[in-house]
Amino acid sequence: MTEEHDQHPVNGLDDVVHQRVRLGILTVAHEARRVEFGFLRTALGLTAGNLSQHLAVLEKAGLVAVEKGYEGRRARTWLSLTPAGDRALRDEVTQLKRLIHLIEQGGAAPEG
Amino acid sequence: MTDASVPSSGAPQEVLASLGDLTRRVRAAQRATWFPLLLFGVLTLGGILVDRLTFRVEEVTPCPPGPSRADVVLTVCTAAKQGSPLYWTAGIALVYAATAVFYVRRARARGVGSPIRPYVLTGVALVVVVAATMFWVGRNGIPQPGEPLDFWGLQLDPGAGTTQFLERLTGEAAAVGLPLLVLSWVERSRALLLFALAYLLLELVPISTGWAGIGAASPWSGLPRLIVPGVFLLLGALGFALVQLPRRRDAS
Repeated sequence: MTEEHDQHPVNGLDDVVHQRVRLGILTVAHEARRVEFGFLRTALGLTAGNLSQHLAVLEKAGLVAVEKGYEGRRARTWLSLTPAGDRALRDEVTQLKRLIHLIEQGGAAPEG
Repeated sequence: MTDASVPSSGAPQEVLASLGDLTRRVRAAQRATWFPLLLFGVLTLGGILVDRLTFRVEEVTPCPPGPSRADVVLTVCTAAKQGSPLYWTAGIALVYAATAVFYVRRARARGVGSPIRPYVLTGVALVVVVAATMFWVGRNGIPQPGEPLDFWGLQLDPGAGTTQFLERLTGEAAAVGLPLLVLSWVERSRALLLFALAYLLLELVPISTGWAGIGAASPWSGLPRLIVPGVFLLLGALGFALVQLPRRRDAS
């Protein structure tokens, strides 16, 4: 077993990714391949300002790529997952599943 | 829309369940299953009219060999021909192109990406297979049992069950049914998977067309073969539209 697997899954959670809104953004972007700002805002039930703040964090961490453009006169912002974002989401889901497995076995508390 | 759309900050199970809900919401926005089903249904029913319009009786000299003519020497026979290889090949290609454009434009308008590429690639490969089969039949005519059959170097017995199965497989079953299977995988839709399997069953199982009381030499002989899958596709289109349209209103 590797050192990573010996760690408690809680220690494997990335704070940037684990935050619930950002986790939602990554999930939608992963499934949609490419998602528009307006769809994300509606799907996650957020204000534009709140969503922009979370997107800035994800973009700074290199997890999403933001592309701005126009369709006709309408400004549109599209975002997609970077390979790092894709990996981060997969890792997060793996850690959550490990955590659930531990809880079901009755060993939820992290050691140390 | 409430803040409940954002993944829960509770137990890991709740978080994963919330992510599942978001995933389903995206998939619902991407799906437009009714559109290709509608086009394929119209194309299939249109095939009945094309068969009727292209029906002709030709004299064939010499008569092709057949088991029933072993003791009778015939010099001139008539053969009924119908159908257009161009109709099916061009029609299927057009349906694929229209479906791809519709999916991409609709997904873009709704603010999500489109997962249509594998469907299109499958369609291109299958259109080539269907075109080869249709043009071969158009050039060589429908083979009679007992005649030697050389299909692009493949030696086949036209009377054999395997050959008849291959003939059905490389026809509408492959051109419509297999892409629907791919679409069900792309859309991760269990309902479409079941529908595509039912369609393939309908096309691949040799169902008797005698129920319609229309003989093989009739100008309408294409009707019993095409009306069942055509109506099945149109009913499927209606069913998926009824299920997906309310979801679209919810998602917008």
